[in-house]
Amino acid sequence: MSSGSIVIVGAGQSAAVAALTLREHGYTGVIRMLGREQHRPYERPPLSKSVLVDEQMPSLDVLSADQWARADVEFLSGTEALALDPARHQVRLRDGGVVEYEYCLLATGGEARTLPSLPREGARTYYIRTLEDALRLRAALHRGAHVVILGGGFLGLEVAHSASAAGASVTVVESAGRLLDRFVPASISGWLESELAGAGVQLRLRESVRDCSSLEDGRLLIETSGGGRLAADAVVVAIGLVPNDALARGAGLDVAQGGGILVDAHCRTSDRHIYACGDCTSQKRPGQVMPTRVESWQNANEQARTAAAGILAAPAPIPPVPWFWTDQGKHNIQILGAPAADLDYVRREDPSAAKALWLGHRHGIPVHGIAINAGADLRALRPLFERGQPVQLDDFHLPGTSVRAWSKRQAADAMVGV
Amino acid sequence: MEWIKVASATELGDDEAKTVKVAGSAVALYRMDGEFFATQALCTHATALLSEGYIEDGCIECPLHQGRFDIRTGRAMCAPVTVDLRTYPVKRDGEDIYLSLAAAS
Repeated sequence: MSSGSIVIVGAGQSAAVAALTLREHGYTGVIRMLGREQHRPYERPPLSKSVLVDEQMPSLDVLSADQWARADVEFLSGTEALALDPARHQVRLRDGGVVEYEYCLLATGGEARTLPSLPREGARTYYIRTLEDALRLRAALHRGAHVVILGGGFLGLEVAHSASAAGASVTVVESAGRLLDRFVPASISGWLESELAGAGVQLRLRESVRDCSSLEDGRLLIETSGGGRLAADAVVVAIGLVPNDALARGAGLDVAQGGGILVDAHCRTSDRHIYACGDCTSQKRPGQVMPTRVESWQNANEQARTAAAGILAAPAPIPPVPWFWTDQGKHNIQILGAPAADLDYVRREDPSAAKALWLGHRHGIPVHGIAINAGADLRALRPLFERGQPVQLDDFHLPGTSVRAWSKRQAADAMVGV
Repeated sequence: MEWIKVASATELGDDEAKTVKVAGSAVALYRMDGEFFATQALCTHATALLSEGYIEDGCIECPLHQGRFDIRTGRAMCAPVTVDLRTYPVKRDGEDIYLSLAAAS
């Protein structure tokens, strides 16, 4: 083993934040970062939005130049790790090289889930995981092109809005009965569906792909279970993510049922010198019976900080209330907390007026918040989520009241109650 | 330095912000502890008016992706923002708030 060195396998959001956090904790050893791609760590959320449509390419760096310098990593780009040997404390590389470590951090992310009928490499077939994937799709989004999107999750819907904005004619095929049914109440699904229709997007719910073939002109013919025959200039497959846990499996580390490197509250794997963070993990969280995978930008950042602290035996940061955003065309949707079957919802304002805030609660205790173009209002509720005490909801919905003031009043009342 | 009146002190409560127009340019104006500050109107990360964000502990959080900036210095404090905001000098004369675009930093 190489004492005083950390190898980070992966070079995405989580890897970058972990490296910087290690330095912020005062770590002075060598940090080697192995990236399969050539790029420095970049933000992936824009890949389905601004990278597809904006005239000017946005800046995607996770770390500013100054932060990258402070992270002081030995960056091995274009490098693939083939195997991990926990006994020898070694990572073996495709090019035959070996990297030794004292601690290893797996930040390997995930791959787009593939449809067997539409292989990853197929012409006119698009998956979105890397910058190159997004740029390739961008080139196909011209006016009049028919783009068929398989999967109406967050990613698929973002791409639908982007493709539509680029002038393409868009069809979304989704097997669920309503959009984002695992994340939002039915009324919000309905609003999302009407917004897509307003953008000219055709939506085929309760349908899946039955067959795919090539037409003489090179286009793909997608046949759906609902009898649809869609001639597509481009097919975008957005049906989820498969965690990259192969290295961990090969090394004999515990992997969750259904995938994901199993980590504890400190992001430590079943080997005490190997940690994991971000999309590749499955973590057992307080109050949960089974470990879960959380595919979010926030989770990538927070687990990176937790893992860095764990490696250096520093106090673990307090896990934040789960928070997620998606930009759907011109609308920004944010979700705080998590849905549950037994919640009651109250609403302020109206999505038809392009601004609304829902608060899902259990006997007054805030559990799930959803904001449409009301991110700051949702942010104002966060202290109440953190507190976990019942709130007085009678005047929550009243127009003219500020959510911030309402939230502060709730907090103050709770203090008085104590 | 040219000072332009942009607001009256009573238009904002503490920890509130608004977008004001100064010589044709939009600028975010903030009030904290009775003091006024100004930065560029838009987040450096995505197209969002910072005045619609959330102010806490001297920072403005962008309403879209919760990037945070120090209101006094414009400094980008946390991901996903990495580029600082321009700040503008503000002065108060009685109830009148003045701003200068000339000495942006």
